[in-house]
Amino acid sequence: VRREKREPSLPSNLVKKMFIHYVKMPVAKDALEAVERCVNLYFKHLSNDLEAYVNHARRKTAELADLELLMRRQGLITDKMPLNVLVERHLPMEYRKLLIPVARSGNKVIPQKPR
Amino acid sequence: MKRTLPRSTLKSLVKKHKPQLRLGGNTDLLVHLNFLLFLFRLAEEARAKAVEEKSKIIKYEHVLSSAKIILKKSRG
Repeated sequence: VRREKREPSLPSNLVKKMFIHYVKMPVAKDALEAVERCVNLYFKHLSNDLEAYVNHARRKTAELADLELLMRRQGLITDKMPLNVLVERHLPMEYRKLLIPVARSGNKVIPQKPR
Repeated sequence: MKRTLPRSTLKSLVKKHKPQLRLGGNTDLLVHLNFLLFLFRLAEEARAKAVEEKSKIIKYEHVLSSAKIILKKSRG
């Protein structure tokens, strides 16, 4: 059966591997396909939400604050669970460096705080 | 497990859904984080469902019912 017009999606084996890593249990084949469809749906919702936030602020570019607001509304970021902790827990070092400001010598903060 | 995705793939994915939307510097990393957390939540929920039914593997129904819950939770 050929699928007509593929939806934009992530590489499927990557999604599968990540899911299997997180569940720590054997997963049925059709269940994995369901996960993929779910991920596609998730990205669709995500881009819709982001667009709404950005339009509301009368901008054209999504900023870090938009994502933070999104995650707060999803209940991922709470007062007890700040964004930086989530970044530290889930993202690898090279990404963490880009997101969490660190003070260097000479009172320089890298990366610079967004104005 | 590799915890990184190709950044350009992630960017172009959002781009495909919303061609006019621009992603500012490093926002794609937060999108990535959000995606990881989403998958994590989904996995937890599916496992809980499977354990509840004393099933040894994650079945299609488990994913489907937990997807409903988690997608609802991750509305912005």
